[in-house]
Amino acid sequence: MNRRRCRALPGALHRRITAVGLAVVAVVSCAWMPCVQAEARHAAGAADVPRVAAIDWGQAQTLTALGVAPVAAGQIDSYNIWVGQPKLPASTQELGLRAQPNMELLSQLDLDLITLTSMYASAEPRLAEIAPVERIDIYQREGDVWANTLRATRELAKSVHRQDAGEQLIRDTEQQIAALAGHLGADTPPLLVVQFMDARHVRVYGDRSLIQATMERLGLSNAWQGDTLMWGFALVPLQRLAAIDDAVMVVMGPIPVGVEDSLARSVVWQSLPLVKHGPVIHIPGVWSYGGLPSATRFARLIVDALAALTPARAAPDTPTS
Amino acid sequence: MSVRWSAITPGRLCAALTLILLAFAAVTLKHAAQGMGLSAMLTGDGIDAIVIRYSWAPRLAVALLGGAGLALAGTLLQQTLRNPLASPTTLGVASGAQLALLSATLFAPSLLSLSRGGVAFAGGAAALGLVFALAWRRRLAPTVLVLAGMVVNLYFGTLSLALILFNQETLQGMMIWGAGSLTQDDWSGVIYLLPRLLGGLIGAIVLSRALALLDLDEVNARNLGVSLFYLRLASLGLAVFMAVCVVSRLGNIGFIGLAAPAIVRIVGARTFKARLLWAPILGGLLLAVADQMLTLFLGDSAMLVPTGAVTAALGAPLLLWLIPRLTVARSAPMAGAVEVPLRRRTPGRFIALLGIAAVCMAVVGLLAGQGASGWHGPWSLPWAEAGAWRLPRVMAAGAAGMMLALAGTIIQRISGNPLASPEVLGISAGTGLGLLGLLLFSASASTGLSLAAGTFGALATLALLIAINARSGFEPERLLLTGISVMFLFTAIQQIVMAGGDPRVQGALAWILGSTYSVTLPRAVLVAILAVVMIALTRPFARWLDVLPLGTATAQALGINVNISRLVLLFIVAVLTAGATLIVGPLSFVGLLAPHLARILGLTRAREQMAGAIVLGALLMMGADWLGRELIFPAELPSGMVATLLGGSYFMWRLRRL
Repeated sequence: MNRRRCRALPGALHRRITAVGLAVVAVVSCAWMPCVQAEARHAAGAADVPRVAAIDWGQAQTLTALGVAPVAAGQIDSYNIWVGQPKLPASTQELGLRAQPNMELLSQLDLDLITLTSMYASAEPRLAEIAPVERIDIYQREGDVWANTLRATRELAKSVHRQDAGEQLIRDTEQQIAALAGHLGADTPPLLVVQFMDARHVRVYGDRSLIQATMERLGLSNAWQGDTLMWGFALVPLQRLAAIDDAVMVVMGPIPVGVEDSLARSVVWQSLPLVKHGPVIHIPGVWSYGGLPSATRFARLIVDALAALTPARAAPDTPTS
Repeated sequence: MSVRWSAITPGRLCAALTLILLAFAAVTLKHAAQGMGLSAMLTGDGIDAIVIRYSWAPRLAVALLGGAGLALAGTLLQQTLRNPLASPTTLGVASGAQLALLSATLFAPSLLSLSRGGVAFAGGAAALGLVFALAWRRRLAPTVLVLAGMVVNLYFGTLSLALILFNQETLQGMMIWGAGSLTQDDWSGVIYLLPRLLGGLIGAIVLSRALALLDLDEVNARNLGVSLFYLRLASLGLAVFMAVCVVSRLGNIGFIGLAAPAIVRIVGARTFKARLLWAPILGGLLLAVADQMLTLFLGDSAMLVPTGAVTAALGAPLLLWLIPRLTVARSAPMAGAVEVPLRRRTPGRFIALLGIAAVCMAVVGLLAGQGASGWHGPWSLPWAEAGAWRLPRVMAAGAAGMMLALAGTIIQRISGNPLASPEVLGISAGTGLGLLGLLLFSASASTGLSLAAGTFGALATLALLIAINARSGFEPERLLLTGISVMFLFTAIQQIVMAGGDPRVQGALAWILGSTYSVTLPRAVLVAILAVVMIALTRPFARWLDVLPLGTATAQALGINVNISRLVLLFIVAVLTAGATLIVGPLSFVGLLAPHLARILGLTRAREQMAGAIVLGALLMMGADWLGRELIFPAELPSGMVATLLGGSYFMWRLRRL
């Protein structure tokens, strides 16, 4: 910095500080502007429907299925992509990241209840200042995933005083899955359910996953008998699938961009016994940490895909999607 | 050192590693072959033979090639930049490639299906272009290049983490690439890399005579008729070309490019030509051995542990062990990189004005904000629905900004290095390691437990810093090397966790980016008290801080015990950094930026600079925190991230005009 500019600096700085001061005044006075809000917020909802904020997607999904759609949830846009069913009402308030739900906003929503899982437990003490908090787990808890899912459904239903709806959801789910299981032939081979992360690595769903729990309800067996992480999947390179030769490969969406092109060229993928002798089933994505609605969705998708396959099983190279 | 080590030569080291590699490779091959004969492997069309031919073999080849390419690039960079810490990532290549891939996945997926490698290459080249543009006016002077590379790395790295924070599910696969997985399913990687790296090698050999002259100092090299500018341009271009080729195919592979040239130098490759020969061989062997080891021990686990991140994690202890054995140039490496401004005549009044601005910012942060239905008046919402949540955050942001700015001022003055900042001491990385470790090994961690784990990490890092550096009298260069090693380890573990697809990553990531989100009022009060106490404690040391930058000899002549003063100041920096990091996460830029700003604004003496930096740090952090909360309401950007982006933009603008 040269001498001339240095002398000029104090003046420039004073001007800058004045500008900053003016900006502050402007912002503060904007903030003063009257706002039409708040009062409307309680008028719409029926008095007996509890106002719930669901931090976890699986719980938002289950609550919606119970008829108590959350008034607020985290990352709704991504929910619509990854969970999808059932849809959240358009009025659901966005809370921001699930790991960091907006506290100010939550405290302005007149909530009756906030539900979360242990994954978001670090926020629990402060959320408890806003409304009663229910922490309900499926994965970060001992025990069978299916039993945990039923228990979580009952606990959620109880926390919103919809025990009947909870039992109804469980009955409906089990009936639907049982009905779907009836469509499956006794000779249905084991399934290997994978989800592509990139062109060379897949998640394989196994023990401790909702996917496997649902397959068990359907009477299907899982071809992946290897270890899984706490979250019910193993993350493996493609060649780890080479040893499995008696199963049907199920590719669960969404497939990352460009992966299909790479697989068409990949010698290892093309030579995997399950791919070479086909067929490979493609199904849309199912939120793997979801509740009963995800289980029903997976069951329906997989049974439909297997049914579509049956006539074609004689001709292995028929593309399926 | 060389006397005790004379038994080890680069040749013998590489021979030993080759034997180890052969042994490992034989075991993994036997595992993959399942009793198959050699001819069946070479010609069979069963899946096991295919896996050997198209997965096992190209993986081994690509590890050797990638390691060699990175080591060669590192050798060229270290020679050209005259900096033993330069590596292919120094100039922003990997972070540029990563940002490009992530952005393309989210915003232009069609580009990815066109050419994934091309996108990565373009990103890496763009980052390098930015670094070159920033250093162009100084004719690519090494100090400015390194500084520019560091800023670009931090800036792009922060942007990448932010994209991942908001799109964890979509970007899962890219995190596997980001951690450097060497999985192959055909020979295309080898076919891509081999000719490019060979070309790079030939280029390096052509340049080697001129580059060897850089072992002399700049003046002598110039007198011998070397055009430094074109030599640097050619050599850096070559190095970065090879690095970006490797990175675009294999992802981030830490450490090899830094360590291979350093190790061959230590074991006796004195001349540049010898390093040019041995470093690539060693680099290839190191990466291949690490990869085979991983395949052997973790090949059948449910968790994917990418090789690139593991080499970085394994490399960190090796680097720590090497530090006392390295001959570090005793100099003020960055002298002349940053201008010395004239001292302001009325610093007191100026600092007071800054203080008023900081108070205004605090008021804005408390009162102005959005609610359920948009912007609202400052007092239109009950205290419990807005102010009560904002107060601890404003306080914590201000206090953390002050502490980090003070820590940064001290560390820059002790080390005489304007690039030093609290995190390069590794304290915040150590804190982060403690917290990430807790995440990895426990299902659900309480707040108290994570506070304890973070504190433990910080203290362990401090103990390590002291243990390694006590004998050398806390020489600044060694201190920074130690810190960088801890940062290596932290980044590596972070990459492994992110690649593993654990759904808890989001919370950890928000903390890593530096957020006041989880601050409670008691903690905010605590951190504010800590800030005030530490500021008061530091005041008496202003004289040390005025004298230490003049160099060890001068300081001793003026009657200062350099070792003790460094140790005391180091301890203060550690406490400041750990305190701030525990509350709000490792806020990257404030500790680096605030002291600079203070200096640039004419606060040159220690006491003025500290006071100015403290106020500026608070102002910057509170501003970043407020912007972070309001910009994309109701979601929020971590304040550390906003501070990095604001500070980084400013820093790049300054650099360009250096």
